[in-house]
Amino acid sequence: MNTPNPPLGSTDPSGSEPPSDDVLAGEYVLGVLDPAQRRSLETRLGSDRAFAERTAYWERRLAPLLDDIAPVSPPERVWQRVCGRLGWTNTRASIWQSLAFWRGAAILATLVAVVAVGLSVLQAPQPPTVLAPSLVTPLAHDDGTPAWLVSIDRTGGTVAVVPVPGPRDPQGRVPELWLIPPGQAPRSLGLVSVERSRTVEVPASLRAWLASGSVLAVSLEQPSGIPHAAPAGPIIAKGAIRVAGAG
Amino acid sequence: MLEEGTPPEALLSQIALGNREAFAALYRATANKLFGICLRVLAERSEAEDALQDVFTTVWRKAAQFDATRASAATWLAMIARSKAIDRLRALPARQSQASLELTEDLEDPGVSPPQEAQAATDRAQLERCLDLLDARRRALIRAAFFEGSTYEELAARTQSPLGSVKSWIRRGLLQLRECLGT
Repeated sequence: MNTPNPPLGSTDPSGSEPPSDDVLAGEYVLGVLDPAQRRSLETRLGSDRAFAERTAYWERRLAPLLDDIAPVSPPERVWQRVCGRLGWTNTRASIWQSLAFWRGAAILATLVAVVAVGLSVLQAPQPPTVLAPSLVTPLAHDDGTPAWLVSIDRTGGTVAVVPVPGPRDPQGRVPELWLIPPGQAPRSLGLVSVERSRTVEVPASLRAWLASGSVLAVSLEQPSGIPHAAPAGPIIAKGAIRVAGAG
Repeated sequence: MLEEGTPPEALLSQIALGNREAFAALYRATANKLFGICLRVLAERSEAEDALQDVFTTVWRKAAQFDATRASAATWLAMIARSKAIDRLRALPARQSQASLELTEDLEDPGVSPPQEAQAATDRAQLERCLDLLDARRRALIRAAFFEGSTYEELAARTQSPLGSVKSWIRRGLLQLRECLGT
């Protein structure tokens, strides 16, 4: 600190003399130091155990001030970018989170197979039937980032709903899946999860609508009363069912 | 398979071993709170999102350095979030928090959230008591620095006070707090 002459009226030496390590650690934790000082102290933290202890003291002591800060749900893209920055391009999670993937029809075909295998594990063994290809419909947020992957088994009348892991709604609402046949009102398919895969049995009366032209959507709803007669909360993700090469 | 509600300390020790599932579970359990902290320092949402990315990439790389004898996982994570947010704030070309600061009043709403555990209640109560013992000027400066990440220079400009005085008030306040809080 280059303050050779303290301002008149400031006779307090602690404003101009180098502070003790205790105070310096407190200044670092408070965040009053400039970038160069912060960087040099960060280097010191790695090598000076006593100074690291002093810093930990202030962090522990001042942390209760953070208790009042309200949690805010970050957008899904933060998690995707974290995975990207960590170079997790080969994990299942990051494949699901790659926008390029969602646009890549070739890889989509691979995933159809993967999910089909997953479904066959989830379900009781079935007699071989005429092969009805699974339909895979990504449900995306408004900004285009994927939120759920829905794999439709028209033969079994089920849909497997696989989330891109995301935080829960801070207000305690839960995601409810809706099937919206063309030109009709949404019909609830029940509760899904932001954390784990869920297979939903589709009522027989609605199975015919698991086809191109219908839309699947997820809204945030109060946990009680699911399935609801109509969505009341915001739609947070949606996607149109498409059948490759068929109607 | 990780149970729902696995303590963050246990998740961190798994993350230190390279467990990505534990990392995803920690993200789900803590991202909301840590994003709230980033937003407190960085009013700009996109900056706060970037800071939150910094937080979790740091957590992945430094999980092995977490020392449960020094701090709880919640404190360790919260302080990483504050630190990363302040780093981002410092890197911004034009600083956001230059609002003038009135030194005779507290800046913070003294609203108190219900403590989650007895120990937290004790620490919190003790900190509040010790802050209350500070002269209002020192208390206001320490709170502004902590919540807004203002530097000494910025605090001097915001309070229209000499830099040396601001440093002196905060340093004396820290010494007083240290004495009041004990070890």
